[in-house]
Amino acid sequence: MISLFQVLAAGQPAKIRFAPQWTAQAQFAGYYVALEQGFYADAGIDLEIIYPNAGKSVLKLLETGEADVVSLFLTTGIKAKANGVDLVNFGQLSQHSATMLVARKSAGILKLADMEGKKIAIWKSGFDELPRWLIAKNNLNVEWVPVLYSVNLFLSGAVNIMAVMWYNEYNQILNSGVDESELSCFFLSDYGFDIPDDGLYCLENTRKEKGKLLAAFLHATLKGWEYARQHPDSTLELVIGKMKQAHLSANLTHQKWMLEKVLELIKLAPKNVSPGELSEQDYNEAIELLYQQGFISTKIPFQEFFQPTTKTAK
Amino acid sequence: MKRDSLSYHIIRNVLLFCAALFFITFLVYYYFTRNTIKETTQVNAVLLADKTVSRIEQELLIAQNIPENLGWMLESANLQKDSILQFLKEIVQNNPNIYGSSIAFEPDFFLEEGRYFAPYAYRDGDMVKTMHLGSESYEYFFMDWYQIPGMLKKPYWTEPYFDEGGGNIIMSTYAVPFYIWDNGQRVFAGIVTVDISLEWLTEFIQSVKIFDTGYAFLLSANGVIVSHPNRDYIMNQTIFTIAKERDDGHLISIGRGMVAGESSFTHVDLLAGGNYSMYYTALHSNKWSIGVIYPNREMYAPLRRITIILFAIIILGLILLCVFIIQNVNSITAPLKQFAQSAKTIAAGNFETQLPEIKTRDEMLELHNSFEFMQKSLADYVIQIKETTAAKEKIESELHIARDIQMGMIPHIFPPFPNLPQIDLFAVLHPAKKVGGDLYDFFLIDDSRMCFVIGDVSGKGIPASLFMAVTRTLLRSVADKKDTPADIVTKLNKSLALNNESCMFVTFFLGIIDLTTGEVEYSNAGHNPFILVRAENSEYQVMAPGMVLGAFEDIQYTNERLVLKPDDVIFMYTDGVTEAMNQQHKLFGEQRLLEIVGESGELPVTDLINSTLNGLTGFVDGYEQSDDITILALRFLASQQ
Repeated sequence: MISLFQVLAAGQPAKIRFAPQWTAQAQFAGYYVALEQGFYADAGIDLEIIYPNAGKSVLKLLETGEADVVSLFLTTGIKAKANGVDLVNFGQLSQHSATMLVARKSAGILKLADMEGKKIAIWKSGFDELPRWLIAKNNLNVEWVPVLYSVNLFLSGAVNIMAVMWYNEYNQILNSGVDESELSCFFLSDYGFDIPDDGLYCLENTRKEKGKLLAAFLHATLKGWEYARQHPDSTLELVIGKMKQAHLSANLTHQKWMLEKVLELIKLAPKNVSPGELSEQDYNEAIELLYQQGFISTKIPFQEFFQPTTKTAK
Repeated sequence: MKRDSLSYHIIRNVLLFCAALFFITFLVYYYFTRNTIKETTQVNAVLLADKTVSRIEQELLIAQNIPENLGWMLESANLQKDSILQFLKEIVQNNPNIYGSSIAFEPDFFLEEGRYFAPYAYRDGDMVKTMHLGSESYEYFFMDWYQIPGMLKKPYWTEPYFDEGGGNIIMSTYAVPFYIWDNGQRVFAGIVTVDISLEWLTEFIQSVKIFDTGYAFLLSANGVIVSHPNRDYIMNQTIFTIAKERDDGHLISIGRGMVAGESSFTHVDLLAGGNYSMYYTALHSNKWSIGVIYPNREMYAPLRRITIILFAIIILGLILLCVFIIQNVNSITAPLKQFAQSAKTIAAGNFETQLPEIKTRDEMLELHNSFEFMQKSLADYVIQIKETTAAKEKIESELHIARDIQMGMIPHIFPPFPNLPQIDLFAVLHPAKKVGGDLYDFFLIDDSRMCFVIGDVSGKGIPASLFMAVTRTLLRSVADKKDTPADIVTKLNKSLALNNESCMFVTFFLGIIDLTTGEVEYSNAGHNPFILVRAENSEYQVMAPGMVLGAFEDIQYTNERLVLKPDDVIFMYTDGVTEAMNQQHKLFGEQRLLEIVGESGELPVTDLINSTLNGLTGFVDGYEQSDDITILALRFLASQQ
């Protein structure tokens, strides 16, 4: 039935609505490039990119069916599935963790142990599992200060440690006049928690119904990222255009930094995976971390969570 | 103009000096004027920045007063919960600068209101509306305006943001924490805010103009561009992202200074316009920073104009100076050329040539007078020279005659006595000057006896030649047949010494040879000893010295004798021979003479004398002859009897 439907529909492209976690920025450059370059159209996909907002998270968009495919952090995806959202990961793009803790050297924080008793600003809306796990593993007592998305709390001096993304908030701090030499950086990946970030998720039903279409989507997306890697200037121009279109504050310097770092995260090495594949070991580490911290009460098996659309050869 | 002319040198030196003087004056002027302009502009920049800052601060302080007073009212419980909304509405209505105001309480502050309680009044067009902030999707506790002042426990101006409802108005919120007293404890209760539209601020900053392209810009506490002539920068860029885009480390350090709230002068290299000066200073209310940028090109434009004008004046001045100097120098030096021409004419012998007419009473007149004097002196001198030359020529010709007469007085036909084969005689006299003081003579006293003499008068020239003539004449008159040589010499001395007013004297040798026996009787009056040349050897003849003739009247001279063997030669000479000098001032000497004479002793006397003269000529090697040279050689061949 499905294949018959697809054959019948072959003449006209199939619609996919895709939602990234956040507003337009270089973190999603690969999608914009693939769309712009017609990689999706070539694959028979009519892609529409929709964005979450303050009132409607990307997960909500997936649950309500407003989006067919969403981009989620691995930990966010696992927590959502454990909480009953019937989703699957059908393609892992980022292979590394970009999460880091940044601290002011002037506050005397040079090593992890110096954080004892200090306040740490951390995202209120997720992505907080890894930093919390790192602090817990090191038996440190800290005061967590939930924040939304700005780095102003850190810049104002109200806190001296903050959880940030390497490709985003960290550079925002640097772009506000703080020199790298004034900061102590603690990359989660350096402490053995190199758990990947962005992956592609859909509902289990969608996976069943549109498996080949999703495979084509993943393929076109990877192609888009490869193109972005080879053409950073035109990619950035495209991203800035998208941001201006959305009336967002667009800064070339920052987007350039973000693109470079996100492309770093997509690199496979040193992990033994194929493009688009989720490492089972990374998954198990994430499950363990979330379980131990009480974010999840059941350990969902890898095969239930990661359902690649095509078997990719290693 | 010729490169080696006087005019050229004067003009070149004066022009170089004037140009250097002008240049140095100009440099000093330029340096000081530039500094003055720079200082004035800096003072103006500071004034402008400070004026702008105080104008902004004034507005901000008014805005700040409201939440600060509200916080105090809340703390002193003067404001009831139910009246807050209406109160806020009135505040917004009454303060046109305020876009909105809220009092946001801590979570669950009023149990009956639930988790959120944050009454908010805001402007919507001409209306002021009210609402309650706070929902699951707007948890205000985590917003910067709430969280940061809450944690810092002090008022906070938020980073600028675009108002989502109000159509892209840039806003900033001033947030003040407030406290209440609970069981004697002062407890943090929430935040009072006012939202200020920054449109007026950005417009005000943009209205600041410095020269044509200078401008002011505004940075937030985090370095975000809030106001800038380039609208693309506003809210999109921080000063650091611009610096990174341009890879401009200096701009980063400017940014850090601005963010740190410092005030400073610096410079920036903007992509479009080159070098710009800059002053920045802080807005103390909200820790933002204002930068004032002014283009150096425009700042120094008046200086450039003046520079061009000055240069034009200097160059024109130098040209005029050049023309002036050329005319002056030419008119001053013109007579010099005429003088030069006159000098050539005079040199050619025309002493009557016309000198240039000098009207000035300066050095040129002196030169003219000197020339005139020279002309006259030269003419006189030349006349004098002509006369002197004529006189000299006359003397010369007379000297020639005198020489001929003198030479005529001594025998100069050789061989002298062809019919007397017993003797071979030869003599030469080479005066150093036209006429000389040497003498030789020989004559037959009777058939078998011959008298021969040689002498050398003291001094040279005409007096010596006259004394020589006197001596020679007296000799012939006093020589008597019966007299011995000593008698003749004694008589001769007596005659010469008488009336010898000039105190001259003569060395004199007189010999009489008996042609039959070869016996020679002689008397010497202070003359050099002769060389007796014999086959076995030649040597100077030792004889009584004798006093020179003419010195003292009563001198008795003595006779000496010797007998010549056949082929013996008596070789006589004056001291002009032995005292002849060469270039090295060495004397020919008696030893050298003896050697030459000894070697050539067997030759006929003519050859003997010639070879001696040759040896002498070779020795002096062209050195000027200073004394008369006289040689007389007499060979006794053999008796005929």
